[in-house]
Amino acid sequence: MYPFGKGMARYVPLLLLLIPMALYVVFYFGPSVMTVIYSFTDVKNIPGSTMKFVGLENYYDLFYSGNSGERWRSITNTLIFMFIVTIVQNGVALFVAVLLNQRLRGDYFYRAVFFLPVVLGVAVVALIWGMMFDPMSGPVNMLYDWLFGYKDMFFASFTHAFGYIIFVQIWMYMGYSMLIFLAGLQSVPKDLYEAGYIDGTSKWQSFRHITFPLIAPSFTVNMLLSIIGAMSTFDIILATTDGRFNTRTMAYDVYKETFRGSLDMGLPSALSVVQFLIILVFVVVAVRQTRKREVEY
Amino acid sequence: MVKKISAIVLAGALTLSLAACGGGKGNNAATGTEGEGAKTSSGQKQVIKILHWKQDNINKAMNEINKKFEEKYPEYKIEYTTTGPDDEYKQAQRARLTANDVDILADLSGMRLSPQEWTPGAKVPDWEQWINSGLIADLSDQAFVSKWNANDIEKAGTYNGKVYAIPTGKVAMSGLFYNKEIFEEHGLEVPKTWSEFIQLNETLKSKGITPIGVAGKDVWPLKLPVFALQAKILGGGDQQKWIEGVWKGETAFNDAEAVEVLEKMKTLQDNYMIEGFMGIDYASAPAIFATGKVAMLADGSWDAPTIATANPDLKFGYFPVPATEDAAKNASFVGKYDVTWYVAEKGPNKEGALKWLEFFSEPENYTTFVKAAGFIPTMDGISTDSDFIDNELTPYLGDFELAYEIMMINRENVGEHLAAEGVHTEYLAPGGEFKTAKELADVQQKEWEAAAPK
Repeated sequence: MYPFGKGMARYVPLLLLLIPMALYVVFYFGPSVMTVIYSFTDVKNIPGSTMKFVGLENYYDLFYSGNSGERWRSITNTLIFMFIVTIVQNGVALFVAVLLNQRLRGDYFYRAVFFLPVVLGVAVVALIWGMMFDPMSGPVNMLYDWLFGYKDMFFASFTHAFGYIIFVQIWMYMGYSMLIFLAGLQSVPKDLYEAGYIDGTSKWQSFRHITFPLIAPSFTVNMLLSIIGAMSTFDIILATTDGRFNTRTMAYDVYKETFRGSLDMGLPSALSVVQFLIILVFVVVAVRQTRKREVEY
Repeated sequence: MVKKISAIVLAGALTLSLAACGGGKGNNAATGTEGEGAKTSSGQKQVIKILHWKQDNINKAMNEINKKFEEKYPEYKIEYTTTGPDDEYKQAQRARLTANDVDILADLSGMRLSPQEWTPGAKVPDWEQWINSGLIADLSDQAFVSKWNANDIEKAGTYNGKVYAIPTGKVAMSGLFYNKEIFEEHGLEVPKTWSEFIQLNETLKSKGITPIGVAGKDVWPLKLPVFALQAKILGGGDQQKWIEGVWKGETAFNDAEAVEVLEKMKTLQDNYMIEGFMGIDYASAPAIFATGKVAMLADGSWDAPTIATANPDLKFGYFPVPATEDAAKNASFVGKYDVTWYVAEKGPNKEGALKWLEFFSEPENYTTFVKAAGFIPTMDGISTDSDFIDNELTPYLGDFELAYEIMMINRENVGEHLAAEGVHTEYLAPGGEFKTAKELADVQQKEWEAAAPK
């Protein structure tokens, strides 16, 4: 009747709730709100320095100063990165997941292999591909040379570096998406396929009309994770090209301006607010679209 | 990944809020440690915190000096922390200094790039902001300052008439290491003029030897030979005049001299540099030179110890890139001050820090340091016993000038073709998009004008 007791005791759960709430406000919500506020100020990373409101000056600097061309390129790069990573990563992951969902010999081994890059971590992955893509003596360049008689500069090429980073990002996180798809696939009841088989569905039809709608929730999760993940990726860029050779994205710029730029914190704050807004738009659109497809039989 | 980005925002915001608290607390903390100091002198050791970056040869010497210091002053204990170089170090510098968690910190170069009257809207460098915020101790009254070369202290350690920093050595940046065996074998001599230099490159090429190696992947090593070109060509050999000129609109990034700089570097990149130089990273460049794959290597004088380690039998020298046809003008290095010590005003143990710096300034200890570092000493009467410094660097030190990146005061938010005080010849074809030097120069001038303060 009274699971939380009577009288003052009723407030105990609320009190206990206060602790995590306070932690959340102090360490998460507060700083986020402060970032928005800082984006309108000339705050500096120096103790005791004064701070004053400068209105939209930081935003103006972002888009109408000497290097705004690069900002726009960062935004375009971010969007390209997000679209390609989201589509290819999920496409490949779904394909691999469906393959591994069949009873294969050694399927656990394959799963482990595909998931391995996720466990390796960015620094190791960057190191591996840095060596693979070494322009002087890397194996990939030898292969290119042998196959096409062509050599590439890889991470030091103004035109190709970004493409290679996208490739590495997909290689690295494909296993993660695959795992989520696999979980989804394994929850699809077998009897539906049997029913379909009796009705004479082809392989494609049973995938299109049984599997796909039923794993839609995994699809939503994967879409969201890869959109947000791709839009906020800076670590792999930092570790491979360090933003050189036209490979900067918004998240990389935020990192760079915050930790390596000037002591001014207003501009990077403004930059992260803009980044947040862009991510928000895409996430909302993606959620609405994918939710529509989710069904239950 | 979601967490990562929020973590950054969070970290940024947190640093700020912490920083804000730190300001108020600064004074209390300082008095607090004084009291503590008195207490601990009887038994416990006082810690002196030194922040530096990783560089094996120097770190080793520092450990040696620190050990000797602790032996002489048993009441102190030194906590010597090193981080990765460059950006990682700058990050650590900021964090530790703003948290009053460091007593002595090294800077990557001497004081530089302070805004002038003729640079409206220029960014105030970190060190200047720190001094203005009272975070750096004034060393003017310390006796040990007089042990250092007065000119070097004036140039690299003085601000507003007060001494705030001790530059511990100079390095040459504008030279080329050359393989003496290859040169001797083909009867080649160190070139004194630009045309001799081109001739030398042609000869090497005709003999099937790659003339020049450079670590293009890191981009900044490309700046090094350009520093020679800039110092000797811009402003007719007066870089300072040219730099003031671009601010005042009297000279330009696409004027004849600036284009000549780019064109000469383009000539080297297109014809004489090792194939695929844009793919070589800095760490592997010394090995390429030490194994005789290239006859010359564009690198700073600080890398001499690394080259010697890579191949102890290699005989090599170092000469300035001959930028012009005037042999006398070419015959000097362009460089910068390296490791420069600052003492934190509000650190936990300023007293100890000053004592350490005094100890470091004793000729005997400084010699240990400068020998290991391979710097050109900034203290008079120091013998480094280094053949490389005595025979290869000293003959060209007469007219030692600071490099463009040390002198060039940039406009805020300047475009990427000018950012980080570089010339950015990596943007030239075939790697980059600009077919000619003039095209790049025009874009640079446009970006410079676009960044003009409004």
